[in-house]
Amino acid sequence: MHRLGGVGLAAFDRQQLSQRSFAELSSELSQAQVDLLHAQLDQFRTALVRFASTHRDSIRRDPNFRHAFQQMCAKIGVDPLAGPRKGGWWAEILNLGDWQYELGVQIVDVCVSTRERNGGLIEMGELVRLVSKLRGVAGGVIAEDDVIRSIKTLKPLGAGYEVIDVGSGKKMVRSVPMQLDEDQAVVLAIANQEGGRVSEQLLVSRKAWMPERAKAALENMLLRDGLCWLDDQDEVNGVAYWVPSAMHWDE
Amino acid sequence: MSLSPHTTPSGFLLPSIHAAPPFFTQQPNPATQAIVTEQWSRLILSYARHRQLFTVRVEDAEVTGAYILEQMAAKNQLVYDPPKQSRSALLYWRTPEEWAEVLHEWASTTGQLNTILTFYEIIEPPVPSPLSGIPMQILRKAIHILTKTNRAQIIAVADGEGVRFLPGNAGK
Repeated sequence: MHRLGGVGLAAFDRQQLSQRSFAELSSELSQAQVDLLHAQLDQFRTALVRFASTHRDSIRRDPNFRHAFQQMCAKIGVDPLAGPRKGGWWAEILNLGDWQYELGVQIVDVCVSTRERNGGLIEMGELVRLVSKLRGVAGGVIAEDDVIRSIKTLKPLGAGYEVIDVGSGKKMVRSVPMQLDEDQAVVLAIANQEGGRVSEQLLVSRKAWMPERAKAALENMLLRDGLCWLDDQDEVNGVAYWVPSAMHWDE
Repeated sequence: MSLSPHTTPSGFLLPSIHAAPPFFTQQPNPATQAIVTEQWSRLILSYARHRQLFTVRVEDAEVTGAYILEQMAAKNQLVYDPPKQSRSALLYWRTPEEWAEVLHEWASTTGQLNTILTFYEIIEPPVPSPLSGIPMQILRKAIHILTKTNRAQIIAVADGEGVRFLPGNAGK
């Protein structure tokens, strides 16, 4: 019985030949696939661009729609913030560059003007409220999402703008370069639960901290970072610390 | 717990910061204290203006009173009266220069230019005026400012001090 293709050197040559053919075939296949992929992506891009221009106004006006668009982009792996133009997709395709930029400026405006009062840390809800106030009715509705996205674009400024999660769904925006250590984050979380008021005793009883640790964290926030105010006439504990950014101000 | 502005019985609107407990404590952080001082100064002056109050005493204020009054004195927002003590002061919710203009304006519109008036008549006029109840020291300062632009002359009268206001503008 003969071995298919024969034996010996001839067989070896034939094997090499077929290997090469297979290799060529596989790269041909890949090229075809790549070409197809390119075509599909182009088609997709066109469709997305068309969608974006059709709905540009809705995106500009309605935060829910904006959010849904963002979600859609995320799902398909498109990062609206990426791209050659500053502001990425929002600027390039949607022509929302000005809109985005204006929002960024307004956020900085609010952060800077409240910085004296809160030490450079502002609660997200208050930031949204004050930015909305600045924009007025004509500005359209702004949601937390929009602010978070805008802050991302502020990062290259190097001014330290950052969103901080303090737990239980609360977020704060930091606008000064500051080392917010873990203990301070805990203090902030408690402050947010207590309408701005924290005390050593509260930290000891709620978080089982040693008194020294509580005192150190609070004193750092007070003296070093200017993030809280002292109250030495506190009725409950004698001494309490108030975090303006966690207090509810009715202006 | 929400901090809101609050209206006093006399109709003055206290800003929401006045409802914040730490506002009444001296702050160890100097930057924070500067803000507290600034807010208190503004509040004290605008409340005094609203109630037409001139005198403030440290005893009337809370714990941080003496420090804040000190800061206000340094910025000429008040002057210790009597001088050389720091328990009691006169508030300049109008500066002496502003008082000078108000004084001259009043004399002019009530047709009392070129007449001799006693200080008493100015402080306690029959018809209430912006100058009613003005402390003597502030009146004297205002008159002195007017003399510099030839809009007032100090006259010696029978019992007390008198002044004659002359027409003119601050510019002269």
